[in-house]
Amino acid sequence: MSPRQWARDLVMGARFAVTGGREGWVRMTLTAVGVGLGVALLLLCTALPNVFAARTRVEDARYANVYSQKVPPKADNTFLIAQADTTWHDDDILGRFVEPEGKRAPLPPGVDAFPGKGEMVVSPALKDLLASDDAKLLRERLPYKITGTIGESGLIGSHELAYYAGASGLKLTDFSPVHRLTEYGHPDSTPEKTDPVLLLMVLVVFVVLLTPVAVFIAAAVRFGGERRDRRLAALRLVGSDSRMTRRIAAGEALAGALLGLVIGTGFFLLGRQALGSTEVLGVSVWPSYLDPSPALAALVAVAIPAAAVLVTLLAMRGVVVEPLGVVRAAKQRRRRLWWRLLPPLAGLAMLYPMIGKGRKSGGFNQYLVIGGVLLLLIGITALLPWVVEAVVVRLGKGALSWQLAVRRLQLSSGTAARMVNGIAVAVAGAIALQMLFTGTQSQYTKATGKDPGRVQMQVDFSDRKPLSGVEREFTGTKGVRAAVAPATLEYGDARRNPKNSNGLTVGNCTALRELATLPSCKDGDVFITRTRSHYTSPSNADEIAVVKPGRQLYIDPSYDDATERGIEVPWTVPANVRVVDARKDSLQDANGLLVTPAALPAKAAPALFSDGVYLRLDPSVPDSREYIRNVVTRIDPLARTYSWSATQEDAKYTSIRTGLFVGSAFVLALIGASLLVSQLEQLRERRKLLSALVAFGTRRRTLSLSVLWQTALPVGLGLILATTVGITLGSVLLKMTRTPVAMDWASVLTMTGVGAAVVGVVTLLSLPPLLRMMRPEGLRTE
Amino acid sequence: MTTSPPGSLLTAHDLRKAYGPTHALDGAEFSIHPGEVVAIMGPSGSGKSTLLHCLAGIVPPDSGSITYNGHELTKMSDAQRSALRRSGFGFVFQFGQLVPELTCVENVALPLRLNGSSRKDAERTALGWMERLEVDDLKAKRPGEVSGGQGQRVAVARALVTGPRLLFADEPTGALDSFNGERVMELLTEAARSTNAAVVLVTHEARVAAYADREIVVRDGQSRDMERAV
Ligand SMILES: Nc1ncnc2c1ncn2[C@@H]1O[C@H](COP(=O)(O)OP(=O)(O)O)[C@@H](O)[C@H]1O
Ligand SMILES: [Mg+2]
Repeated sequence: MSPRQWARDLVMGARFAVTGGREGWVRMTLTAVGVGLGVALLLLCTALPNVFAARTRVEDARYANVYSQKVPPKADNTFLIAQADTTWHDDDILGRFVEPEGKRAPLPPGVDAFPGKGEMVVSPALKDLLASDDAKLLRERLPYKITGTIGESGLIGSHELAYYAGASGLKLTDFSPVHRLTEYGHPDSTPEKTDPVLLLMVLVVFVVLLTPVAVFIAAAVRFGGERRDRRLAALRLVGSDSRMTRRIAAGEALAGALLGLVIGTGFFLLGRQALGSTEVLGVSVWPSYLDPSPALAALVAVAIPAAAVLVTLLAMRGVVVEPLGVVRAAKQRRRRLWWRLLPPLAGLAMLYPMIGKGRKSGGFNQYLVIGGVLLLLIGITALLPWVVEAVVVRLGKGALSWQLAVRRLQLSSGTAARMVNGIAVAVAGAIALQMLFTGTQSQYTKATGKDPGRVQMQVDFSDRKPLSGVEREFTGTKGVRAAVAPATLEYGDARRNPKNSNGLTVGNCTALRELATLPSCKDGDVFITRTRSHYTSPSNADEIAVVKPGRQLYIDPSYDDATERGIEVPWTVPANVRVVDARKDSLQDANGLLVTPAALPAKAAPALFSDGVYLRLDPSVPDSREYIRNVVTRIDPLARTYSWSATQEDAKYTSIRTGLFVGSAFVLALIGASLLVSQLEQLRERRKLLSALVAFGTRRRTLSLSVLWQTALPVGLGLILATTVGITLGSVLLKMTRTPVAMDWASVLTMTGVGAAVVGVVTLLSLPPLLRMMRPEGLRTE
Repeated sequence: MTTSPPGSLLTAHDLRKAYGPTHALDGAEFSIHPGEVVAIMGPSGSGKSTLLHCLAGIVPPDSGSITYNGHELTKMSDAQRSALRRSGFGFVFQFGQLVPELTCVENVALPLRLNGSSRKDAERTALGWMERLEVDDLKAKRPGEVSGGQGQRVAVARALVTGPRLLFADEPTGALDSFNGERVMELLTEAARSTNAAVVLVTHEARVAAYADREIVVRDGQSRDMERAV
């Protein structure tokens, strides 16, 4: 076979692709757009490693190393920095106070000039947010004048919310969150070792997302397949032999794939720009992060056209392009099952050796995982045509619409199965992943031990702030039902260098009741708990022995080796001190001596420090958390405010799952698009027939129903197959991670439901053109 | 081994072909001489088309032999049969054999290009044939834009462009009115005679068969020569 002949046939095929008149162009464009979408998605995926690397790079670059052991002396190049992160509804806002101490103090990454006191530089997204109408409460919280914006080098995404506020006179004390540094940056950015199960998830997510894309590309290459088969048959008639015909078909596919590459690159560039300027599920990036690694991009550029040709050649093996294809349909051979079972079985065989490996016994073999999952999913595309054919040949009797649909499916079960392949593969993958996620969720969710039913928010002040009625600050705040603010001070059995010293908690009866079970309580009462801590060293006998009624103790004693002198206020243990039980669910690591304010000498007040404020909220007030954050910021801009939740998810686990959702959304949209195209194509193929049927009086309802059946039957079969494969794969994955296999039927239903919904939407969208085609005038077109 | 009648171009002996229970061909015989025009007649479903397809090597018969120019067609490979279709045979069917993507002149030039001719040469030759069939003004049109009779004439031009020794025509006028049908038949036989191409003409219309030198009737998969029957 001479290369010249090869080239000639390929070129002839390519010419067929581009010189087809309107019809040909439509088909070529569909193929190219389909391939292009796939290419764009693949290119985006190849850019993902870069995204993670780039985000980590920025995070490391702006990192303030506050854990450094030694504090540098104030110098020309030092600056003070304090973390002042806050939250606006569900969005985290990165916040820092910075104060340069000398002329050579480095600027934070992306910042051009230090903001002065009362000023701040903000990220573009925060600037927009602050300017929006409903951000009044946020404006109150960050009342600083905006003097600049943070550049790309200081932000991990175009939509990140961040600010650097200027400060002066930040105090560097033992307890304050203020730090003195000479530079930004992470001291050692050695990546942590990834948990093998998480790695497994990442691999499976990639395969599950990319396989439908591949299936989609394969389908796109075959858009217009029936017409093409007829054309090729015409070529056979005038004497092109079967190899020539294949090459011509391959040339045609190649042309579509090449144009698809071009279009895909365009899509990718557009998508890169679009993704760089939007936020998906709280994640945003910069366009520059979405640069595909050259090697992977080259792989895509080579693999896609090659795959297009390969798919065509494979598909052609099935289609008997006989010369008579023009005149009469060649009889199809029944599909055989045995070789179609091979891919899924091979997939299972590849995964089998890894069963029970779990987290303990080392990682999983990446290639086996990728290969196994891929084969199982691809197996669906091999099995589905057989399933559809096997079921459809047994059907037939029924209403006219049903009969039309079934007969059509019997003739072209392959086309029908191909249409559903993508969705079936996506659904199977989603079910398997969902099982894996649900099964392992408990391993990645920690109980915090906090009961959000009791307290919804907690405030930790930044410094050891003297307590002067912090509760009162919150009593007037909208949405606050109760504020509990226990405070602590230190007491000892001597004025100076006491032998016994301990912490003491001061709080009103409401606050103390959150710490211990009190038989009764009024202001002036004093209690001591039988156990000191609710989780360690249970007995508190030593302290009970010291705290005897009438005993002289000293509040805030002094120590010779301390820098500051205590206030040394004498305090006599009152006669009414009672021994009580600490609550098992005490708000804090409970503190033996519990004292109501009236039982404490007035002079002791300056020694009292807040231990945090615990807030109970009114759920009916929508912005209660924002009001509280504003109050807190007013009292102490460096305070931290937390919302309580019972559990906390592993951040990586959560981000993998978020990634899956984002990816699935794209893939489903893609599949929906391809379904719509092939649906319309099928209708166009049958335009003449449809109008003929209408012309001799078939009701439109019957025809619409038959089109519906024609879609619903293969989709239903596809989803059943997908569920079976999905559950199998999910069980294997769970077994691999040593997690008990549990069926999560709700999510199985959700996934199949989503798949069915996509098909439903597509069918609805294809109805208007169907109705248009069913006008009898359609007979004359073509 | 059967002996073919002396001087015949294509001979078939005892052809059998069944589609499931249907015996489309049941021991059919056929022979044609160079330059001869033979009409195959018979009612619908009698096996005319099947016979033509077997003779042209498009459909393999279940049994029997077909000799073309001394070569056994049934023993040829697909590539050999394709090559034969490319250069030795030409085809005209009732409809649908033109490639809708290509213009008329490109359609006519197609067999030459498959043979490896350059585009220019192929289209020059093609245009010559289109002139002879009086459709050269349609060269830039696509098959969808021309009438049935014009399309058939383009198909005839394409069938003859390689200078085949044998032209197969299956109901070439079946989709045409009688006026257009006659015109296509006139041009077809004229052109075939001028190049000394033999024509196997399947039809069920006596008027069309009148253009032939000889008639064969097919009934229930068996063929009978008209001259012997008369
Ligand atoms: N591809 C096929 N599959 C099944 N039956 C066929 C096929 N081609 C022809 N037949 C049957 O063979 C018989 C002869 O068909 P055909 O040669 O087309 O007849 P004619 O051209 O004389 O009308 C018919 O009964 C027809 O149904
Ligand atoms: Mg016929």
